[in-house]
Amino acid sequence: MSQFLDWATHGVKRGRLEFRSRPGALLSTVVAVLVLVAAIYLALVSRTAAQGRHIEQLQTEIFRLQRENEQLTVVIAEVSAIPELMERASVMGFAPAQQVEYVGHSE
Amino acid sequence: MAEGPRRRLLLLITLLGGCVLLTVVQLVKVQVIDHQFYAKWAEEQRVRAVRMDQPPRGVIRDRDGRVLAGNGVRYAVEAAPAYVSRKEDAAEQLASVLHLPASHLCAELSKRDATGDFRTWIRIASSVSKEVGEQIADLDINGVTIKPLWRRVYPEGTLASHALGFSTAETGYYGVEGFYDTMLQPEPVEWVGPVDVESVPIPWEPIAGEFPRRGVDLELTLDRTIQALVEDELRHAIAMYQAEGGTIIVMEPETFGILSLASVPSYDPEDYAQFADQDPSRFEDPAVSKQYEPGSVFKIVTVAAALDAGIVTPNSVYHDEGWIEVGGQAIHNSMGKVYGDKSVTDILVKSLNVGSAWLSTKMGSELFYDYVRDFGFGELTHVDLAGEVAGQLWLPEDVEHWHPSNLGTNAFGQGIAVTPLQMVTSMATVANDGARLRPHIVGRRNASDGAISDFHPVFEEQVISPETAQMITDILVRVVQEGATEAQVEGYRVAGKTGTAQIPIPGGYAPEGTIATFVGYGPVPDPAVVVLVKLDRPQSSEWASRTAAPTFARLMSQLFTVLGIPPDRDHVLAEVGP
Repeated sequence: MSQFLDWATHGVKRGRLEFRSRPGALLSTVVAVLVLVAAIYLALVSRTAAQGRHIEQLQTEIFRLQRENEQLTVVIAEVSAIPELMERASVMGFAPAQQVEYVGHSE
Repeated sequence: MAEGPRRRLLLLITLLGGCVLLTVVQLVKVQVIDHQFYAKWAEEQRVRAVRMDQPPRGVIRDRDGRVLAGNGVRYAVEAAPAYVSRKEDAAEQLASVLHLPASHLCAELSKRDATGDFRTWIRIASSVSKEVGEQIADLDINGVTIKPLWRRVYPEGTLASHALGFSTAETGYYGVEGFYDTMLQPEPVEWVGPVDVESVPIPWEPIAGEFPRRGVDLELTLDRTIQALVEDELRHAIAMYQAEGGTIIVMEPETFGILSLASVPSYDPEDYAQFADQDPSRFEDPAVSKQYEPGSVFKIVTVAAALDAGIVTPNSVYHDEGWIEVGGQAIHNSMGKVYGDKSVTDILVKSLNVGSAWLSTKMGSELFYDYVRDFGFGELTHVDLAGEVAGQLWLPEDVEHWHPSNLGTNAFGQGIAVTPLQMVTSMATVANDGARLRPHIVGRRNASDGAISDFHPVFEEQVISPETAQMITDILVRVVQEGATEAQVEGYRVAGKTGTAQIPIPGGYAPEGTIATFVGYGPVPDPAVVVLVKLDRPQSSEWASRTAAPTFARLMSQLFTVLGIPPDRDHVLAEVGP
C-alpha cells in the first residue's frame, strides 16, 4: 500500500501546496463556516435530544403520579364507603337514631 | 514535470475522478431519482406511531363528591423471551411474586416459534395488583416489563348499581356509564416519531402535541346516604312483604334531579361478568327500562286533567252505581262496591274506578290523551340514563290497538304501560306547581381542562296550572289521611296515592300477583322529595296500602331526618285504618 502511495505521489511531494489564491481562501472560508454550522447543529440536536428525554421522563412521572392519585382516590373511597363506616360506627358503639328531637331556638 | 510522474498523476486523477463520478451518479440516483422510495423505506423502519399511556376514565361522584365509580391500577406482566438471558433465574424470581410454578414460567420463557427463534412477546399475567406489579418492576429482570392498566372500581359495592351501570376495560354499559360513555372515555393520543429497535421513542425531538386527556368527571344529583338508606329500606320491604323485587325512586320536585334510584334484584358492577352470560336482563334498570301497568296511581293524572280543564271541581258530584259502560265494556269498582253519590275528591280518596272512567269519558278522548301526553306518558322522559323505554300508550289514531273502552280503563291505569320514572315524574309535576321538567341524574361535569359545566333544569311543559296542582295536593293529603293511612308520617303532612295493579299476561291478567305502588311527596306545603315505591308481587298482602304505603312512610320518615327537615308540630296523625 505504502509502495503504491509512494508511486502515486512521486514528484507531487516536491511541490508546495499553497492557498494564496482568492478561490483557495474562499473555499477554506466556506469549509470553516460549514464546519461551524455543523458543530452548532450537532450541539442543538444533542441539547434537544436531552430535553426530549427529560420531557419524556416528566411525562412518565406524570402518568405514574396520575396512577398513584387515582389509586389513592379509590382507596380513600373504599375506606369511607358506607358499609365500612357503618361497621366502624357500630364497633365504636353508635347506633342509628330511632327518634330525632329537634330543639327550637329563638334569635 | 517529468513524463513518468505526470502519467502516474493523470492516471490517479482519472481513477479518483471516475470513483467520484460513480459516487455522484449513485448519490443522484439514491437522493434524487429514487428519493421517495428510500425516504419511505427509511421512515417505515424508524418511525412508528406510539400510543401514549392511556389516562383514566372519568370518575363518577355523588352530589357531595363521594366517589361512586373510580379507577384502580392493575398491571399486565409481559416478557420478550429473547432478551431474558437467564431464564431459570427469571422464572424463579417471577414465580415467587406471582405464585405460579417456576417450571411453567420457565417453559413459557423458553418456548420457540416455528422458525426456531424465541417468541417476540408473551404475556405472563394479564392483570395483577398494583403491589405485585411494583414488586416485579423492582426485580428489574431484563426482558420482563409491566404495563399499567386501568380497572373500573366501584368503592360502594352494589350501591346504585342500576343507576351507575358498569364499564369494561374500554366501554361503559347501562346507567350513567352507558349514557355518558363517550364523555367518560379518555382521549387517546398517538405520538408519531423515531423509535429504537424495541419501539421505544427516541427523543430527538420533544414529544409534541397534546398530553392525553382523562375522561370527563361527572357529579351526580344522587345522594350516597339517601341511596344507601333507600336500598336498605327496599331490601327490608321485599323481605317483609315477600316480594319478588321492587323499585324506589326519590326525586327533588324543584329540579327533577334524581336523589336515589334503587331496584332489587341488583348486581355488583365490578363483577358484571358473572351475570353477562347467565342473566343479562339484570343489568337493565327497571326504573327506566321496564314498563308496567300503574293501576290506581294513574287516577291522579285523570283527576288533575279534569280539574285543570275545568270539566269538574273537587266538589262536583257523580252517582256511582258500582259500574259504568265505556266502549261496550263494563268497568267496575274494586271489589264491586257501589258508592252512590260521590265527589271528585272521593275518586282519589276512595280510589274509585267508576269515577275515573266517568271523568275520562266526560273529558272525551282528545282532551284526556292530550293531558296524558303532557304529563309525559307514551314518550321518553329523556333522562340521562341508558336504555330508557317510552312505555306504551295507545291513542285513538292507533286504530289497530286502541279500543273505545281504553278511554275508561286508561283512566284508572289499566291498558297503559309506564316506567316508574315516568310515574314519579308526573307526580313531581304536581308537586312542582304543575310544571314538568326533564328528570336528570348528572348535576355537573368537570372536564380535565378545568372547565365546569353545571346542569340547568330543562323546562318541558306547564301541564296543569299551579291552582290545579294545589287542589290535587290538598286531595292527596286527604288520601293519606283518610284512605291510605299507612302512608302517614308522624309529624309531617304528606300527599300520595296507592296503586294495586294486576299484571297483564297475553289474553288478560294474571290470576295471582299484583304490582303494589305508592307515589307521594312531602312535606306539604313545601315538598322536598317525591318518592315512588313499587313492589313486585308481594305475597304478604296484594294491596299497596299494606305494603308499598307503609314502606313509603318508613322511608319518608328517614328521609326527613337525613335532609334535616323538622316536623310540623301542629300536624296530628289520623287514625290508621283497620
